Amino acid sequence: MKIGIPRSLLYFYYYPLWKIYFEELGIEVVTTPDTSKEIIDLGVKNSVPELCVPVKAYIGHFIKLLDMGVDYIYAPRFVSILKGQYFCPKFMGLPDMIRHSFDGVEDKMLIPMIHAQNDNIAEYKNFKFMEERFGVSPKANKLALGKAEKVWLEFRNSSLRGHTAQEAADMILNKPENHITATNRNPVKIGVLGYVYNLYDPYISMDLVKKLQSMDVSIKTFEMMEEKDLNKQLKKMSKNLFWTFSDKLLAAGYSFYEDEEIDGVIHVTAFGCGPDSMLGKLLEIDSTNYAKPFMTIRVDEHSGENHLQTRIEAFVDMIKRKKMKTRRGA
Amino acid sequence: MKVSFPYMGTTIVYKKLLELLGHEVIMPPKPSQRTINLGVKYSPEFACFPLKVIMGSYIEALEAGAEVLVTSGGHGPCRAGFYEQVHRRILEEKGHTVDFIVFNSMFRDFKQFYSNIKKLKDKNSWLKVIKSLWLVYLMINKLDILEKEVQRIRAYEVKRGETTKVWESIQKDFDTVRNKVQVMAAYDKGRKRLADIKTYEVKEDRKLRIGIVGEIYVVMEASINMKMEELLGNMGAEVERSQYLSQWVAYNALPSFINKTHEVDIIKAGEPFIPINIGGHAKQTVGHIADYGERGFDGVIHLMPFGCLPELVSQSIIPKISQQYDIPVLTLSIDEQTGTANNLTRVEAFIDLIRGKRMKKIS
Ligand code: SF4
Ligand code: SF4
Repeated sequence: MKIGIPRSLLYFYYYPLWKIYFEELGIEVVTTPDTSKEIIDLGVKNSVPELCVPVKAYIGHFIKLLDMGVDYIYAPRFVSILKGQYFCPKFMGLPDMIRHSFDGVEDKMLIPMIHAQNDNIAEYKNFKFMEERFGVSPKANKLALGKAEKVWLEFRNSSLRGHTAQEAADMILNKPENHITATNRNPVKIGVLGYVYNLYDPYISMDLVKKLQSMDVSIKTFEMMEEKDLNKQLKKMSKNLFWTFSDKLLAAGYSFYEDEEIDGVIHVTAFGCGPDSMLGKLLEIDSTNYAKPFMTIRVDEHSGENHLQTRIEAFVDMIKRKKMKTRRGA
Repeated sequence: MKVSFPYMGTTIVYKKLLELLGHEVIMPPKPSQRTINLGVKYSPEFACFPLKVIMGSYIEALEAGAEVLVTSGGHGPCRAGFYEQVHRRILEEKGHTVDFIVFNSMFRDFKQFYSNIKKLKDKNSWLKVIKSLWLVYLMINKLDILEKEVQRIRAYEVKRGETTKVWESIQKDFDTVRNKVQVMAAYDKGRKRLADIKTYEVKEDRKLRIGIVGEIYVVMEASINMKMEELLGNMGAEVERSQYLSQWVAYNALPSFINKTHEVDIIKAGEPFIPINIGGHAKQTVGHIADYGERGFDGVIHLMPFGCLPELVSQSIIPKISQQYDIPVLTLSIDEQTGTANNLTRVEAFIDLIRGKRMKKIS
């Protein structure tokens, strides 16, 4: 049996878990290639225009998978991974958008609901569907899940030690390391705020992270922070955003502001992302209070690469100059 | 306290409640181009449109001297719950100091609900508060009955614009009521005045009925949705909205186990399409479309704020529902540019389409 997983959205956070889990059950896992113009175009053609790019990309990957000869497509419905918090409405309704848009795909889709206490979603109930649908025995199911969970925790630990989710996944899944490892000696450190599916999708973010790293900038992202620290940060606010990953970004943003090692913050956001419009505004207003440079990079299906390069270079230069000045002044 | 609130739909009822409790009410002006411009200027670019209009509305209320803003926090996982945070910060940034009283459903957080009520209660006795709430609830119910009548008659009025004028003056009458007897008197007078409007006779099988669904703010607030109800009425269609204040109150004020409101059925009707609550009113939107389809309506206008997260999900699913129930649906996304000739043309074309469909059915 072949199960397909679109290389999109939370693939970038949970792929190690999913891959190991299905493989342990003896299932072949097929994923789509990196997002390309072709995939984006497929998504754009098959969705309503106002949707954000990552969701369009997901739809593109989904259609692509249909052509790749898989038996099923794993398309979980993310509902909540923190009490009282939810996912962006587009996530919660994603399986519905797809199953009602393409005739006959519903039978091919595996749509378990994901509910968890924290971002470790390897809870038995989230994977029980394999028993109901395919008669996997509870014992085998739990065993596979246990193994997968272990790998995923390693993946998370690797991020906590300072690797981006992408680097961590590459290392854990034994792919040749095709990245530049960040060293702490770099003179400039930038906090990069963005959803994993934007930052690590090379097409959507135009490889922003690697671009920064190749300018000798070390970076920090939300996934390098302990969940409990982020939650502590959120508790300080009178009300949070309701959306888990948006909240994580907001909390990471304020932590970056308070972190003396961080010289500036870049917020990468998809055109038309509702949650980001709120958190971006709050962070923008507060950036002056903390005297940290803040830049927003907005990506969509037409954003151009040149422009991006110039903007981040200017931002990094500005930070370098600022640092020199204070050093000289001191 | 000089109190104000966001402008939405039949505002006199909020005004009345606050007045009954002895507050000085600063009526927010009806959203105008200026309101929208102010809102757009001071809000995040990609904030949803209701947030922007309400932003503008607050600024205008503060200009008029308001000190306290009362609003509902909205519930369920969408941005509305976060509005007040963003509004507050932006207003502070602009140099205004203002207090917010944010109501959430009393079943979610009774303590907060209670403390909010206490703030508004001021020196009034609890009996007075309960009486006021009850009077306002009665008023909402009566106004909604009249409004539904307005939405029906408008399609057949002989003198264009008469129904709207009468409706406005009915609302003025309600604005002066102080007790139950006066509410009932205003209601009876209203009924009579509506009945006196001269209308054309239209055969039952030629009547067009259109439902309006979507996100609550753009559905309820005529000044930003091209006065959709009037527009459709003038084109000769009866209109029904997915949301009425009385329903909203009943649905939100009743604990779930005795909640037998129509809203509950609607949500059931939406279930096959969107099984869980994804935030905002998406599930209601699809449920209402199914319901209108079931009830033999001729078409549905779906209104959504530009970029509205949950309504984008409903928009994606609408083609399927529309096909399944054989009911045409037109989605209009509302933002600061709405009301352009282009949208008007789309509505006209839509009405032509359903009228054609209706004619075919008759012959
Ligand atoms: S959080 Fe933003 S980018 Fe992510 S799915 Fe929702 S709208 Fe799109
Ligand atoms: S439902 Fe739509 S308009 Fe309302 S808060 Fe959510 S995104 Fe904004």
